[in-house]
Amino acid sequence: MGLTRRDFIKASAAAAAFAAVGVPVLRPEGVDAAEAGISWGKAPCRYCGVGCCVLVGVKGGKIVATKGDPAGPVNKGLNCIKGYFLSKALYGKDRLTKPLIRKGNRMVEASWDEALDLIATKYQQAIAAHGPDSVAMYGSGQWTVHEGYTASKLMKGGIGTNNLEPNARLCMASAVVAFMNTFGSDEPMGCYDDLDLGDTYILWGANMAEAHPVLFSRLIDNKLKHPKVRLIDVATRKTRTTKMADQYIAMRPHGDLAAINAMIHVILRDKLYDEAFIKQHVNFKRGKENAPYGLKDKEVFNETPADIKNLTFDEYKELMKQFTPQWGEKISGIPAAKIEELARIYGDKSRKVTSLWTMGVNQHSRGVWVNNLIYNLHLLTGKICKPGENPLSLTGQPSACGTAREVGTFAHRLPADMVVMNEAHRKKTAGIWGINPDKISSKVGLHTMEMFRAIDRNELKCIWIQCTNPFQSLPNVSRLRKAAEARKAFIVVSDIYPTKSTEVADVILPSASWVEKEGVFGNTERRTQHWFKMIEPPGQAREDSWQLIQFAKRMGLGHLFPYSEKGFHKEMWEEYRRFTIGAGKDLAPYEAYAKVRGLRWPVKPDGKETRWRYTDADDPYLKKGEGIKFYKAPGNRVNVWFRPYEPPAESPDREYPFWFCTGRLLEHWHTGTMTGRVPELRRAVSGATIEMHPEDAKRLGIRNRDPVRITSRRGSIVLPAEINGRSTPEKGSVFSTFFDETKLINELCIDAFDPLSKEPDFKKCAVKVRKA
Amino acid sequence: MPVSGIVLTCVAASADDVALQLAAVNGIEVHGVLPDGRIVAVVEADTVDEEVALVTGLQEIEGVVSVQLAYHNFDDLEAERH
Repeated sequence: MGLTRRDFIKASAAAAAFAAVGVPVLRPEGVDAAEAGISWGKAPCRYCGVGCCVLVGVKGGKIVATKGDPAGPVNKGLNCIKGYFLSKALYGKDRLTKPLIRKGNRMVEASWDEALDLIATKYQQAIAAHGPDSVAMYGSGQWTVHEGYTASKLMKGGIGTNNLEPNARLCMASAVVAFMNTFGSDEPMGCYDDLDLGDTYILWGANMAEAHPVLFSRLIDNKLKHPKVRLIDVATRKTRTTKMADQYIAMRPHGDLAAINAMIHVILRDKLYDEAFIKQHVNFKRGKENAPYGLKDKEVFNETPADIKNLTFDEYKELMKQFTPQWGEKISGIPAAKIEELARIYGDKSRKVTSLWTMGVNQHSRGVWVNNLIYNLHLLTGKICKPGENPLSLTGQPSACGTAREVGTFAHRLPADMVVMNEAHRKKTAGIWGINPDKISSKVGLHTMEMFRAIDRNELKCIWIQCTNPFQSLPNVSRLRKAAEARKAFIVVSDIYPTKSTEVADVILPSASWVEKEGVFGNTERRTQHWFKMIEPPGQAREDSWQLIQFAKRMGLGHLFPYSEKGFHKEMWEEYRRFTIGAGKDLAPYEAYAKVRGLRWPVKPDGKETRWRYTDADDPYLKKGEGIKFYKAPGNRVNVWFRPYEPPAESPDREYPFWFCTGRLLEHWHTGTMTGRVPELRRAVSGATIEMHPEDAKRLGIRNRDPVRITSRRGSIVLPAEINGRSTPEKGSVFSTFFDETKLINELCIDAFDPLSKEPDFKKCAVKVRKA
Repeated sequence: MPVSGIVLTCVAASADDVALQLAAVNGIEVHGVLPDGRIVAVVEADTVDEEVALVTGLQEIEGVVSVQLAYHNFDDLEAERH
């Protein structure tokens, strides 16, 4: 019997898998014929912030195959199982294909002209009556660089308001503030190569095996090859990550703030620090304390230069004496001996230590402080800017770094680390944009939490949401949904599927997604990746930047976007790139990215990328012989901050005795608007559950899959119990995911946020739990 | 019918057991077990949905650390109606 085409496709599948694990296999003759007609193009994955390189196979105008890109340095030929959803995400049957306008309780089909005219009229009316700060735009870390840049130029340079935010406020803002107040420049000094080159990895509250599976595999490969490698999982819940760790250290929610302070105490007490490094590179500072939690509307808390005290190293040591390991144990639940042991690991000169964290640290009512404390560990011990030893904050969205952070789509930012409060920065921006500097407001816009509260307060009249789902993903979401349902603002939502946010929209616009348009994403490790358009979007769906520019024309702001239709992406890129040159964030000419699997900035004059910043071994901003130089920090000195313990906004008590934590799991991404398109998967993962410790469940008479009612001060919800499932929270804690649109978990979450980053704390509030 | 090439990373001591279990699953062919505990397999199912459900199930097998996707071909899916 002869081999069928199908057999050859299977041979090709096996060969690709073997190649990815480093076993060369000859592709049998016939494979090429079986794959005939498929043209392959490169793109970064549409999902998380890892930025895996994907090859997309197109035939007859449709995606018919995908591969992990063997030439991609991030993932070396392998994707996580979200790779299966890359095509499904585009081909779900309920794709939005036409603009829709609200008529009472119905959404009625409209033309693009009708929809855009209506939006422009509403924005013009609001601006005329209430000024430019009465309108806003809420975008995304899933926007391409071009989309974010269009939005920033339109809102900040055109309409004249800084009411522009990305959903990255909910995931990365704490990391951003700490990068800025420590190093004077956003984003990491290290890169993914640190996962291959280090020997000690400390995870701070991160379930990397599920949230960043491809990077976790790199770590595990390193561990399998090198017996010295140790992986320590400090967490509030046992997960798949724990299974592979050498050590699991249970910590109480919010305990990191105490435990790390106690570790620093030990490092100072036992002189485990690197005195020469400290002398050359470090300043000591104390900031503003007794911070609020943002629970009151319009609560203001800033750390101005007048609030900051300089400390000597001795003064800092004196202040840290109070945080003994015993004190740390009392608050964090980590035994004092373990705190000492962890401190000694950081202080061990024979170990290359990398710290990894993500939402556990960032979505934290003192998230900036915990980021600062992790940097302190590395700066005091000099374990930084060297291969295999760096702090690395992992991101959650494909272009949280490239778009939200580098383009600067936050309410206070401009491109390339600049801010609206700084006159020189506004002038530089206005120069590149060709506008009067007075057009850019010096007033910081509404941050995400205040933006949506302002709708409820009748202060914000129009908001345009693109590529994100805030009416599911924000904390204490019922207040915000009620305000939207009461039609307190005119709401436009651009997306690819119906969501909990399109539900409350006045206008819904169909967007093009991923390879239906050309784009650029920037990942966690400063890697900028480009892709070309490969297929047509369905129906009348259009790229988000096209939507914004058509709107701009109607607002009399078309002159801000003088690019040709054909050269749009390149021309806009070259304009944006001017911000980055000489700012330590240098990007390459547009065409360079078409050829490579991304480049990590700063891109050198010879076109090569930079793996490690601030070191003369790699960074083009240093002269040979300078060693390490933190050239973006004032005086080239970085800050070690004194950040004491302050309690969370809400802790368990007699009435609400459990901690409640939310997060994501491998198969579903964010609010499930893309991954939720796979019905079989929904059955396999079966919607949101409530994970409990078996002893807690037993005490409450709850068995696996029993319906359980979880109630917080803000809401109540019934979910099936999951006991001894893939993860187990510590006693006294329960955990749920936020992807399931039929269970709005975020109605339970407190809308407390970090006073410096304004990032909400989705990881801890108090709930009661009983059998339903 | 969609076809995918996958790599399972296993706790090395469990790899042979995992491979035996995989071989018994309808729609999965084991193509090789590496000394470091990784397994190369090919998955086929009638629809992508079933394929995803199959692969999701693999993660629950004791000893499996991760399942990764190297290649996915879903050409000729006219039969699959959403």
